[in-house]
Order: sequence, then structure tokens, then C-alpha cells
Amino acid sequence: MSENLLQIKNISVTFKTRHGVLKAIDDLSLNVKKGEILGLVGESGAGKSMTGAAVLGLIDPPGRLSSGQIWYKGQRIDQAPETIRGHEISMIFQDPLVSLNPLRRIGDQLVETILTHMPITKAEAVDRARKGLEEVGIDPERINAYPHTFSGGMRQRVVIALALAPEPALIIADEPTTALDVSVQAQILDLLKQLCRERGTSIILVTHDMGVIAETTDRVGVLYAGRLAEIGETRDVLTNPKHPYTKGLVASTPRIDASSFDKTLYQISGSMPKLDAMPNGCAFHPRCEFALDKCRIDRPSIIADRAACWLLDGEETLL
Amino acid sequence: MSFVVAKGLTRNYDLSEPLIVRALTMRPKRILTAVDNVNFSIEKGTTYALVGESGSGKSTIAKMAVGLLKPSAGTLIMDGKNLNDPALARNEQLALRRRIQMVFQSPYASLNPRWRVGDIIAEPIKAFGLIDGTKAQFMRVSELLEQVGLASSDANKYPHEFSGGQRQRISIARALSSQPEVIVCDEPTSALDVSVQAQVLNLLKALQKEYALTYLFITHDLAVVSTMANKIGVLNKGKLVEEQSPTGLFSRPQQDYTKMLLNSAPSINFG
Repeated sequence: MSENLLQIKNISVTFKTRHGVLKAIDDLSLNVKKGEILGLVGESGAGKSMTGAAVLGLIDPPGRLSSGQIWYKGQRIDQAPETIRGHEISMIFQDPLVSLNPLRRIGDQLVETILTHMPITKAEAVDRARKGLEEVGIDPERINAYPHTFSGGMRQRVVIALALAPEPALIIADEPTTALDVSVQAQILDLLKQLCRERGTSIILVTHDMGVIAETTDRVGVLYAGRLAEIGETRDVLTNPKHPYTKGLVASTPRIDASSFDKTLYQISGSMPKLDAMPNGCAFHPRCEFALDKCRIDRPSIIADRAACWLLDGEETLL
Repeated sequence: MSFVVAKGLTRNYDLSEPLIVRALTMRPKRILTAVDNVNFSIEKGTTYALVGESGSGKSTIAKMAVGLLKPSAGTLIMDGKNLNDPALARNEQLALRRRIQMVFQSPYASLNPRWRVGDIIAEPIKAFGLIDGTKAQFMRVSELLEQVGLASSDANKYPHEFSGGQRQRISIARALSSQPEVIVCDEPTSALDVSVQAQVLNLLKALQKEYALTYLFITHDLAVVSTMANKIGVLNKGKLVEEQSPTGLFSRPQQDYTKMLLNSAPSINFG
């Protein structure tokens, strides 16, 4: 578990616009260990999907990876992501209805994916496709069915089978269960966990749902305004958050609890800054109730391998 | 009698093929019962939550409550009056409709992008003829904007200038503008981020206290329900399978379906 499969080193993603150059991701560093599920959580616009896209080289112009490096298995990949895309690292998107071609049978889509990435014959590929379906809990006899004949959850299983088909070492799952009902979501998350354990595949799970993070991931990175606010073991981060933003996020998440009725939920006032109006210093300081003078001027980097917050610097007065 | 009562509420959708095709192929009619004989009642000033998965009929009930759909059978009664009474004159219908408003799921789709926020909020005031005179209407709009935590100067802006949470506040101001007694909230926070969701839920609660509003709260999220509802009804395939207080439902769920929902909801509590 300790070996780093993927290393993201100080990457920035910038967009050139009329309003100047905007930083969607600002100096972000992350490691993904072999066989682990790393969660990336944050609110809309925090840069969680962008991070996944950056790894696969899927950032559309005018956006571009303007600085930093991405290393995969000791090889630098940010210059030539197509060498690993789909084969070594594959992606699961949010909406299974959009990521499957409605005009083609699921078997054909699977076989095409397998043949693109593996030097095997068509018959072998069909065989693999059937096995792949069986693995995600779909009857292999349905290999010739069209996507519309499946329910939402079954379609997402097909998409997972597609992502797994080339036997990648890393899967980036971008909100894989957001479009699904809770009961189906639980099945899909269990399936991902199980496959990850059996094959030693690593997963980057991008989601906005703290519950999904708590139940699925080993480690979690909390993103805010394109920057990493906090990272650590999931249980530590959620039960003992160090960054005031993480604290707020955890406290404002409603819990299934009979005693929570009629209590006012904790709320973080304000909203995330727009990219063209980023505050100086720490991006969270205008909303932070513990903000120090320093926070308004200097941007904190990750301190004590845990959180980008000046409060962790030196003495632990408030935390 | 409770303030809002649903009695035997049913809604069917006819999915049959055209008559001529059915006659030729001898196939029977196909009727989908989206809402099947649902009964519930809501006390004044309280929140009743309907939870269920997609296809359970929760949004169909919301639409029937605000008159966007007519029930196939059964009645919805508010303050002793049948909302779908065909004998009601048009102005009586309108008077009833004023008292029950809706907040929709997506604040991106439910606000007209070409209208200024002030016009959006003033529309119910004009439609129901509540306040005469542009100036008085403008004053009322400013007051509503401030009530939901926005600035009165926001009336001149367009919806795209606001974030999702702020847009949902605009939706709430619009729902409040006709001074309703009942607000139907159809997944009001499922398009929002958690920290913003907390702001909107707190606002809804504060408004309920201030105006003794009655909420019919439609959601798939049991955690949201636990902070909002006085009573929870669980819908499965159009049928109300269980109804309990939050305390009862979370500690002693009766139906297997409810237990399954509770077990599969992702929780951030580490057990």
C-alpha cells in the first residue's frame, strides 16, 4: 500500500479568458498509492473533476496544464498522456447514459475497447467481454443488448466493465453514483471496493458527497478553490478535521439521526470565491472564523502533511 | 381536521399504444399507476416529508398538490376545501392556488434567464392582483429579497449573476411573494453543495417559524429529512408503505423497504 502509483507534483491548470488568466487548479500535489481508494471531495468549482481530467490529459482548450508534473509508475506522463490513457488509467464518468453509445450493442463497445488496448484476437476479446460483464454482475448472455434496455444502475455496471476491460492499474471515477438512487449507489460502491481489493487497482473517487467518501475511501483530499485544503486518512479527516473548511463541511452535512430534528445545521457563510476574484493569502480566509492576519497575506502550503492552514503552524492554539 | 389532507390520492398514466394498433393486435390497455391510493395529512405549521427513490411517485404528488397535474382519483384538501373541486369558480380556484406555492428542484431551470429577479419575484404578486402600483410592488419585492438573505439591489440583476444557492433563495422569495400557507418543496437542495444546502435548509426552517408555514417536503435524501420533517412518509412504487415520526423511523423502521433505504444511505458517522 505504501508504493506511490501516481504522483501529482505542483500542477496548475490555467484558462486564458477575457478577464485574464484564471487558475482552476493552483499548485496542487497529490500521491495515489497502489491499491488504495483516494477520495477527492469539494464543492462545485473546487477543481476535483479538473484534477482527474489533468491526469488523463483531457483538459479542453483554452484550459491547459501550465505547470507541474505528473508521474505514473516512475514515468513522467503529463507530456504524453495518450500513452497511458484508457489502458493504464481509465475513467468512469457520472452519467452512464452519456458515456455509452446508444446505437451500439454493449458487447461491441466492450470488444472495441479491449481490442484498442490489448494485442489479442477478436474471439479472445469477446471472451474477455463476457467475463467482464460477469464480474460486474451482469448476465453475459446480455452481451448483445443495447444500453437502453438496462436500468441506470445496470448501465453504470456496463461502464465499469468498460473501464476495467483493459485491466488498468488506476481508475478515475468522476461522481460515478451521483445520477443513481441510494440503493443502487450502495451496490455500485460495493462493487468498486470489491474490485479494487481483488485486483489491487487504485481508484481516485471524485465526489461531492461526504457520505460516499466516508464509506468508500481509504484517504481523502479536500479541495477548495482549486487548492488542496486538507488530506489524510479518511477517518482522521472526517472525525478530526484540521482545516476550518473541512470542519465546516463535515458539520454542515446532515446526518441520519433522530436527534437532529429542529436543530439548526451548521452553515459556512458566503460561498467559494470566483476564479477571477480570488482573495490574497488563504482562499478560505474571507469565510473563516479563525482567520489570522497572516492568512490574509500569505498562502499556506500543506503543513504537517495534513492541512493548508496557518493555524497548524507551530502551536496548536485553536485546533 | 388537519390543514392539508390527501385522501385516496391516485394518478394513472395511460401508456397504451394507439387505439387502432390495440384493435389490430388485440392488446389490452396499459396503465401505469404512478401514485396509488395515497393517504396522508399535515398539521398546520409542520413539515411532512415524502421520501422515495426515482419512480416512487413523489414528484407526481408534488405536482398534484400545486395543481400542475389532476389526480385520477382521490382528493387533496387544504383548510377544508377540495383543491380540485370542479364546482369551484375560477376566482375561487385562484384564491386557493395563491395559498399553496412550490419551490422546484433545479434553481437553474426554474428561473427565466431573460427576466430580472425583481420581475420574477413580482410575478405572483401581479398574477394574483395582491398589490397595486409599481412602487408598492417594488417595495414588497425588496422586502422579500431581504427576507431570504439577498440585497434589495439584487432585484435588477438576472438569474445568471447568482450562484445556485442564491438562485434557490430567489425561488423561495418567489414562492413567498403570494403569502402562501403551504409550500411544496420538491428536492429543493439536491442541486446544491453541502455548505449551501445547510444555508437553504436553515432559511426554510426560519421562515417556517416566522410565518407558520406548512411544508410538503419531497426528497430522496434521508439525512436532509431527519433535520426537517415532523413526519415522514416512505413511498415505494406509488404506494405509501410507511409513515412515522423521524425518531420512530430511524430507530424502529417497520418495512423492509425502509430498512433497505436506511442501510444504503451513505453516512459520515463512523460506526
